[in-house]
Amino acid sequence: MELDAIAPPELEQIERLGNADLVIGILDGEGQEQGGSAVETTREALTDLSEPLRAVVVSNNGTHSPSEENSQQPIVLSCSLPLAALGETPQQSISNAYRRVFAVGGKLGVRACGVIVSRPQTATRRWIYRLVQPVLDLGFDLVAPCYTRQKMEGLLNRSVLSPLHQALYGERLQNPMGPDFGLSGKLLQKILRQDLSRRGAEANALASIASSAASGGFQVCESHLGVRTQRPTDWSNLSSLLAEVLGAAFLEMEGRATQWQSVRGSKILPRFGAPETPPADSGTTAVDAHGDVHGMIESFQLGTRNLQDIWGLILPPTTLLELRRLSRLPEDRFRLPDNLWARVVYDFALGHRLRTISRDHLLRSITPLYLGWIASYTLEMQTAGLGEVDSRIERLAKAYEDNKSYLVSRWRWPDRFNP
Amino acid sequence: MWDEVGQALSDSMTKMLSQAASLLPGIVALMTALLVSALLAWAVAAILRRSLAGFEFDRRVAQWGFPTLAEVSPSSSPTLLVTRAIACVIVLIGFLIGFSAFDGALPSQFVIRLFAYLPDVMAAIVVLIAGSIIARFMARSVLIGAVNMNLQYARLLSVGVKWLVTVLAVTIAIERLGIGGGIIRLAFGILFGGIVLALALAVGLGSKELVSRSLERETSKTSSQNAHEPVGHL
Repeated sequence: MELDAIAPPELEQIERLGNADLVIGILDGEGQEQGGSAVETTREALTDLSEPLRAVVVSNNGTHSPSEENSQQPIVLSCSLPLAALGETPQQSISNAYRRVFAVGGKLGVRACGVIVSRPQTATRRWIYRLVQPVLDLGFDLVAPCYTRQKMEGLLNRSVLSPLHQALYGERLQNPMGPDFGLSGKLLQKILRQDLSRRGAEANALASIASSAASGGFQVCESHLGVRTQRPTDWSNLSSLLAEVLGAAFLEMEGRATQWQSVRGSKILPRFGAPETPPADSGTTAVDAHGDVHGMIESFQLGTRNLQDIWGLILPPTTLLELRRLSRLPEDRFRLPDNLWARVVYDFALGHRLRTISRDHLLRSITPLYLGWIASYTLEMQTAGLGEVDSRIERLAKAYEDNKSYLVSRWRWPDRFNP
Repeated sequence: MWDEVGQALSDSMTKMLSQAASLLPGIVALMTALLVSALLAWAVAAILRRSLAGFEFDRRVAQWGFPTLAEVSPSSSPTLLVTRAIACVIVLIGFLIGFSAFDGALPSQFVIRLFAYLPDVMAAIVVLIAGSIIARFMARSVLIGAVNMNLQYARLLSVGVKWLVTVLAVTIAIERLGIGGGIIRLAFGILFGGIVLALALAVGLGSKELVSRSLERETSKTSSQNAHEPVGHL
């Protein structure tokens, strides 16, 4: 089904090839032209590996390039996916492209698969190497990315995705939703099988990779990939981003409830490669942060004033009371406690599962709370170094773990009185 | 002469008694219909109450956005409200069946006209329920969207949209029932236009400063984010 998106000549070429060792997906949410460099970069990356491999490069720039089949070693074929369909969000487009790369990998029975999504223009042979080498040479099933980040980058990952994954599945991953991953053929086949049975409009291929590996007992590690270039933040569309990303994460959480309920504690995973030094902070001065924080706190206060009726259907009374108290604090004392934030996320996940209100309303109504968390984090980390930021995030993850019993209890008995 | 008077009284008595006797089957039929319908209503209400309790209807009604339904319900229970309403409808139908058992054109015509009117009543009820659900859904969407856009008058917008949809639904329902005729249309036009004008005034004039401040803040926030790119979410 996913293979239908590939042009017939390229599909024939894949069928002629029969099998391959590796499939590399070079995907771009904007479908920009990567030129012929993807094939060359892959070929260069493969020469660093310990054995000669047959590889297929899949890109989604929509241009059907002629076959690269030649006698050059290692053999690298290329095929293209169509550009994102009209009306598709970047997340959906990437998710669909991911599925197609997996389908190509499944068809060829590959041993490993590497997918690079973060601005492929910056992807180097080192990225490809670091994503597939632990799979091919060290026997890992999933290589998750570890990026060099500024303290105000990856906030949704820091505040929700990473600590939630850690608390649920017991694995400390910096980026559970990638988007750059290396996978073994075994894990790829498992994801393909479950993807067919669990596909839905809200399902996101990216959300299921790390959780499939964790709950399936696969070997997981992380690789330092360096700095990740991202698109500028679209503040006017923040609630859509939250709805899409958190919706996928909560849906995944619902589907694996029987597995994560028995997980206790968390473990540190092996990390490969050397971490890069982050570039100088690009102008996030205290004044900038202060200006932004003021707006975020105002959004939080506005939400607290107006969304009580909606939050009241999702959050218990004590949480609402604490949020109201928080909204009355002066800006310099504005701090969202970790335990409160963890419980808020858990309650929203539960509300999503119970369909307490329309799922879209539920997910969008978390936006002022998320802005409140960012404001609190920004104020707290204004003068902090990157080391302090890491320990701050570890404390947050610990709060998620500590409150997991609350989640499990509410998940099992949602109607039980909860003050 | 006394014989004739006696005869007249006897005839009158016989006539009255025979007329009363002719009503008796109708009365018995009415009472039987009422009794059967009451029993049926009781049984249906009991089954429905049990089913709705199993379905956690009271909690779900609040979740669906009708918390006020509990306030107007007997014992604050929407389940009781629904079961009693259905029981009343069954008893009413039983009464109408019993009433039509009487001989005579008037009861029959009354019942026929009432039954002919029932589809309109049902359609009006459906329109009101659908209108209420849509109004609440849209009000919630507007409220969340406006809060996320940092608009200070979010609640006002939400209430305005809710009333717009509600007024529209009520007007359609009343028109369906054939009450009021042209006056209803006129009243609807005035009310609808009034709400729209009030919203426009609130947004355009009353909140002029707030809007410009909101927009300025949004613009400066977006441009400063784009210039420095200090925040990334994923």
